[in-house]
Amino acid sequence: MTAFFEANMDILLFAGAAAAKALVFLGAIMGFTGLLTLAERKVSALMQDRIGPNRAAVFGLKLNGLFHPAADAIKMIFKEDFVPGRAEKLLFTLAPLFALVPVLALFAVIPFGDYVMVFGYKLDLLIADLPLGLFFVLALSGMAIYGTFLAGWASKNNFALLGAMRGAAQMVSYEVVLGLTLVGLMMIYGSAALQDMVRAQGALLFGCVPAWGVVCQPLAFILFLTAAIAENKRGPFDLVEGESEIIGYFMEYSSMRFAAFMFAEFAEIVLVAMLTATLFFGGWQVPYLYETGFIFPGGGALSLNHYLVSAMQVAAFSAKTVFFAWFLLVVRWTLPRFRFDQLMSLCWKALLPLALLNILLTGAVMLALGKL
Amino acid sequence: MISVKKVHNKPLNLLERIYLWEIARGLSVTMRHFFVNLFNPKGIPTVQYPENVIPLPGNARLRTRHRLKVRADGSPKCVACFLCQTACPAMCIHIEAAEYTDNFVEKYPAVFDIDLARCVMCGMCVEACPEDAIAMDTQNIPGAAAARENLMLNKETLLGNLPGEPSTEGAANRLANEYLAARGDE
Repeated sequence: MTAFFEANMDILLFAGAAAAKALVFLGAIMGFTGLLTLAERKVSALMQDRIGPNRAAVFGLKLNGLFHPAADAIKMIFKEDFVPGRAEKLLFTLAPLFALVPVLALFAVIPFGDYVMVFGYKLDLLIADLPLGLFFVLALSGMAIYGTFLAGWASKNNFALLGAMRGAAQMVSYEVVLGLTLVGLMMIYGSAALQDMVRAQGALLFGCVPAWGVVCQPLAFILFLTAAIAENKRGPFDLVEGESEIIGYFMEYSSMRFAAFMFAEFAEIVLVAMLTATLFFGGWQVPYLYETGFIFPGGGALSLNHYLVSAMQVAAFSAKTVFFAWFLLVVRWTLPRFRFDQLMSLCWKALLPLALLNILLTGAVMLALGKL
Repeated sequence: MISVKKVHNKPLNLLERIYLWEIARGLSVTMRHFFVNLFNPKGIPTVQYPENVIPLPGNARLRTRHRLKVRADGSPKCVACFLCQTACPAMCIHIEAAEYTDNFVEKYPAVFDIDLARCVMCGMCVEACPEDAIAMDTQNIPGAAAARENLMLNKETLLGNLPGEPSTEGAANRLANEYLAARGDE
């Protein structure tokens, strides 16, 4: 047995580290997603001069509504798990999984830090360092369409099917824009691995400005954020669900199956926030912070412990994620919903040409700078 | 002659059609509200009802929790005629009538229950009452309770009176006043 461990030390360490990272990172995301369901209600309340939910209490302890996500979960679990008589039972059950699993799998390629040395073992702070991470992101976010469409189809309900048609059309359309906006980033950073892209964003432009994606690709940032919100079926593009007016694809769902769709949607908010931070706002990069400590462009330097640097980088990534998650909530509660024809014309007539223009401009600038 | 209002929708200029600047303006409004309320929660006008109750504006003419009026001798004005129970669209009133031993003129309610959990505050019981015995002027807004039992009003609660009552005047009290005068108590 010992011989087996010694012979396979590398692979066992790798597997153990990956499992530990997945547990910690996914656990943090699950917790954050749960809190986000509360944050959505609290943020919207504060924006509308209200207080928001604050009644759920444990032993008389209210904590300003902190127990509401738990109360919601318990309520969802105890609701009747209803399946329509004519529904396709298997697909009806699979649809929430198709919505949830790709989103959770996507977190594997998000780098939440550079690396940290643990007992001499170099631990990369991301779960799967795929060389084609960006394509993995696009492929799996395409999978989420199956969740939407299967839900509408398997319900055998015409209104749910119509909602699913709207959803599928919207997601397929914005998928195109999402992919094309990221081409410019790949051209600049010369890699499709997210960790490489984040490392490349640590460089300085003109000696002082961090080379974050938003500085190099401002147009792509706006296009990406718009397309990502639409892909997420939120914000001003939530006519797939249309909570109060038009019926969405999950109208036949109840109990935990419905909760899976809602959880997937909130996890997607976290994902979009993380992707925005990773691709356009330097991921875990803190401006002027390098492996050994701060090196300011003016010439000043501050040497820091390796663990402190790593902690600061993870904290920076968390702060950026929280900021963008909050920003997505604010956008959702500010902008009026688009009509479906407006949604489609925005995608095909505005965003798609602009995404192509962005690729052209990026190529032209790179050619002029002699980097192509 | 139908008056026609002609709306001049001005075409959007370039900045508005790009939409981003307008989004930023909208976001600035909502974010301002968010941060103002975040750092100054006391400014939010929400009242934590039912723990906190704000006084109603003076002389507010609104239908509030019911009460039963009483006569000068403390007996209820209600004669248990069941008109309010019949008129009630929510069927929240339950009356059981009884007879006075020494008074053959009228009945009185032995039981008078109102289930506020069912009451729709329509005021039809007040309209229906021929004796002016039930009123909705306590200035007490019902609606929130931790248990259903707390929303059940019985005769004793309903007879809790406002200052200024009881009234011995009015045509509705004629029989009762005559009876009281004949008995010679007052």
